[in-house]
Amino acid sequence: MSELLVAPPSPPSSVRVVFEDSVAAGSGAREPADTAFGDLAPDDAEVGRRFAAGDEQALAWAYQRWAGQVHGMAVRAFGPGPDAEDVTQQTFIAAWTGRARFRPGESPLPAWLVGICRHKIADTWARRDRQRREAEAALSQAQATPTGTPGPSVDSVVADRMLVLDELDRLGQPQRGIIELAFFADLTHSQIAERTGLPLGTVKSHIRRTLERLRSRLEGDGAALPA
Amino acid sequence: MPHCPPEQLALAALHEPLPDDDARHLADCAVCRTEVDSLRRAVDAVAVPELAEPGPTATPPASVWAGIAAATGVTAVPEGVPAAQPATAQVLPLRSRSRRRGVLLVAAAVVTGAVAGAGVTALVRGGDDDTRQLTTVALDPLTDERASGRAEVVVRGDGSRALEVQLDAPALDDEYYELWLIEPDVVDMVPLGVLRPGSQTFELPAGLELAEYPLVDVSVEPLDGDPTHSGVSIARGQLDS
Ligand SMILES: [Zn+2]
Repeated sequence: MSELLVAPPSPPSSVRVVFEDSVAAGSGAREPADTAFGDLAPDDAEVGRRFAAGDEQALAWAYQRWAGQVHGMAVRAFGPGPDAEDVTQQTFIAAWTGRARFRPGESPLPAWLVGICRHKIADTWARRDRQRREAEAALSQAQATPTGTPGPSVDSVVADRMLVLDELDRLGQPQRGIIELAFFADLTHSQIAERTGLPLGTVKSHIRRTLERLRSRLEGDGAALPA
Repeated sequence: MPHCPPEQLALAALHEPLPDDDARHLADCAVCRTEVDSLRRAVDAVAVPELAEPGPTATPPASVWAGIAAATGVTAVPEGVPAAQPATAQVLPLRSRSRRRGVLLVAAAVVTGAVAGAGVTALVRGGDDDTRQLTTVALDPLTDERASGRAEVVVRGDGSRALEVQLDAPALDDEYYELWLIEPDVVDMVPLGVLRPGSQTFELPAGLELAEYPLVDVSVEPLDGDPTHSGVSIARGQLDS
């Protein structure tokens, strides 16, 4: 074990939302030989598999490799400090406690962590928004005559954001990877086709169907759409 | 000209430029524009720079891993992160700016010893409707505070959980009450929201291990925009899980 810990760190891997592995996953042809097991530094895919299997060392490896990216996102959203640290901490805790939902064959572990981090950032925005509104309401209630006014509602964009992120979690591949490249990597549909190797028409129709699905969810009649 | 193809309208919702014909039609057609706007609601909700793919990395302080290790019980240590120290040495400084009244949170370890057992009841009940009460806890006043109450964990049919809180406490004017779930050693805490005297229900985050955060804490927060615990607690109970 100590040998594992003193091994030179693997080069920082980048977080990619690309799902070429999952496109080929059906054939199983791209599965690398399992030579890394027990070796000095398992590759990212191996860390993902061990993470899903509940290997505690995999949580430490995942933190070692990707905490910098996750924390970078958190700091970008909130600046350095307690809020960003809380987002990073909660991201890894939620990833570990929710590891049964992680499918190593469908997406790389760092992409999954980034998805959780988005939720935690949105949660923090929603919490701040709620606290602000409730504090304002409490203040104005204390100063004005209480007239049974309805409680403060969450800002509609804040609520939309949480619903959309939640619905993204329910998407299968390749739909999720496609829409995430459009939303979060700002790629055009032709760049997405190039990146994923999927036909242009396929990318376009997936985008259309996913946006329709998100619209249904936002408009309130699509809560139980199948994945 | 007929309406734009549905796929093109979806691309327009993503702010992609359309071919000239479609772009001209879209500029003049209210039906197509309405469609684009309705599809764009989801795009605009999440296509913000803060949620974009990761950019520059940042190294979190060692306390972040310490918190993860404490919450998960994982003893493996990432390379480059100092090993976790005994919990007593790990307690994060609580930002207790306000010492106007009440008990400082750092005293919690002692206080909870006194509170636990006093008035803490647990009941597990079969479902009336599809909501199940898991456990209920008395919120006892700390020191000479006049606040008290009770909190109940309920589980709904869909698996979501909530904390139903009844608080008896004086109304505040330029401060407010906030509800927290806190670890036994007061290292980490989860804010649940603003609490007003009376009855309120708080959603519990999915995946939150209640056993990790058994202390139900009511704090007094100044209106200063600081999201952290003020350090002033007025009532507290311990969930028995
Ligand atoms: Zn039209």
